[in-house]
Amino acid sequence: MTVAVLRTEWLTALRRRRLFVFNILIPLTLVTTIALSPAPAVHAAAVFTVLFALFGTFGSSIPLIRDGESGLLRRYVLTGIHPGGLLLQRVFAAATLDLVELAPSVLVIVAARGSSASQLVMLVPAMILGLLAANALGAITAAFAKSVAEGALFSAVAALLLLHWAGTFRSPVPGTWQATLEAWNPFLPLHESLLAAAGAGGPDLDPALLTPPLVTTLAVLLLITAAGRYTIGLGGR
Amino acid sequence: MFGATELSFTYPSGRRGLREVSLRGDPGERVVVMGPNGSGKSTLLRLVSTELPSRQGSLTLFGEACQPPSRALRRRIGIVQDTPVHLDDLTGMENALLFAELYGLLRAEAASALAALFTSLGLDDPLDVPTREYSYGMRKKLLVAEALVHEPEMLILDEPALGLDPPSRAALLRMLVERSEKGVCTLVATNEPALAQEFATTVVLLHEGGVVAHGSPAELLAKVGGATRIEVHVAGAPPAGPIHGDPSAAGVTPPGPTAAGPAFAGLPADIVSIQQLPGRIIAESRSGPDVLPQLVGAVLAAGLKIERITLREPDLTDVFALFTGQALDAEKENA
Repeated sequence: MTVAVLRTEWLTALRRRRLFVFNILIPLTLVTTIALSPAPAVHAAAVFTVLFALFGTFGSSIPLIRDGESGLLRRYVLTGIHPGGLLLQRVFAAATLDLVELAPSVLVIVAARGSSASQLVMLVPAMILGLLAANALGAITAAFAKSVAEGALFSAVAALLLLHWAGTFRSPVPGTWQATLEAWNPFLPLHESLLAAAGAGGPDLDPALLTPPLVTTLAVLLLITAAGRYTIGLGGR
Repeated sequence: MFGATELSFTYPSGRRGLREVSLRGDPGERVVVMGPNGSGKSTLLRLVSTELPSRQGSLTLFGEACQPPSRALRRRIGIVQDTPVHLDDLTGMENALLFAELYGLLRAEAASALAALFTSLGLDDPLDVPTREYSYGMRKKLLVAEALVHEPEMLILDEPALGLDPPSRAALLRMLVERSEKGVCTLVATNEPALAQEFATTVVLLHEGGVVAHGSPAELLAKVGGATRIEVHVAGAPPAGPIHGDPSAAGVTPPGPTAAGPAFAGLPADIVSIQQLPGRIIAESRSGPDVLPQLVGAVLAAGLKIERITLREPDLTDVFALFTGQALDAEKENA
């Protein structure tokens, strides 16, 4: 399978130098301000998690809606590329771009809050997983949106809801269905690792915590691939 | 190559985009669809290109049912949409290579094929420039190159010559004819009668989603005869009274069967029809411009001031008007 779409997304991002720099500087400004402030770790981690999740969700949904409106996605699909494969390439491209653009922010958190090496190591897979999930969520919300404004609204609401269920704002009571939902939530490792890195103390993140959210993320990506032709609405098999 | 049988399409709003259209295109055939805006041309093209699902009636492509369309089937088609959409941050060559790769070509083979296409279309110079700096015509040429690069067996083009300069238009038609001679089936939508007459082997006239006439350009033009169309643009309102020819002029007889009654009595018999429109008098002449003196005399005798006179041979717009009673090119008719 060709990865021409993924490569093109990267090429386009690098050509838009101004936007690329802004995408690094804007989260960096917020993260630096909070990381250097005496804000409690629990609040700082919540802000970082929300910021990173919305960064991923918006970054996926809005370009997809825009390219759908312009007819670019239609052009892609009519070349014979599988619609699900197209979506998957877009999600991976956007997630890897987000990872690069947010890396300076993560390093600032680690440096400013004096995180341990193991906390930094855990942040990497958690960021990858969280950003993949956020971009996948963006692709799903884009399928339901009829305009960029709708896309932004749906993305924000869906991401905040999932972040809530990930225990970002308040941990659920153990043994409840909310706790089960939290364990499988792809944003859980992101929040937990950022919480640890932001200086909440306690033990380092347990790698086993990654497995259920990883399964959820893979399932969502599989769903996007399988339902791609319905998502883009151009048929094809 | 393609065969539509009683193909219909209804948009989600309930508007009928196409009504029971039966049509086929064989290898080497150049089918040109004409019709006013909203007549169903683009809907037909979008159905045949598999962009829209063909649920009402049947559509076959390359002899097989195409719902849902397979990837292999889509790769056998080259499409030029009416609006040229590109990735504006990428150069023309980068855009073209991307689509070539999506069509399954290797970059090296695509690059050489594209180089030849760009040269033919006169698009060599701006290839290293982002397409956001392209003019509409350049974007259209790039779109054509992208549609041809994988040597498709069927081409679907929506207003392909729109925005092209005359040399590029000629180059495009030459390339399309060359491909059709190699067996490529071409389906084109246009409102340009000259393009249809020059290029088509079959012309299909669409009106309100249905086919009103189809045949070769020669067959269709034969239906309106060979009468020259003379348009006399006059100042002020159309004549209130009758326009009379000079009774002493040789050959002045009552006009032909489609003339507008006694208002035009006395004009030469070679004027087979005459119409009065606001600001214009349109006559159809069997003897070309020979009837001009009598016609001009009659108009002047009616006290009208002639601003200009145009003569043209009948074209497919006249065929469309014959079948529908409406102008294919309203702008032209109202000019």
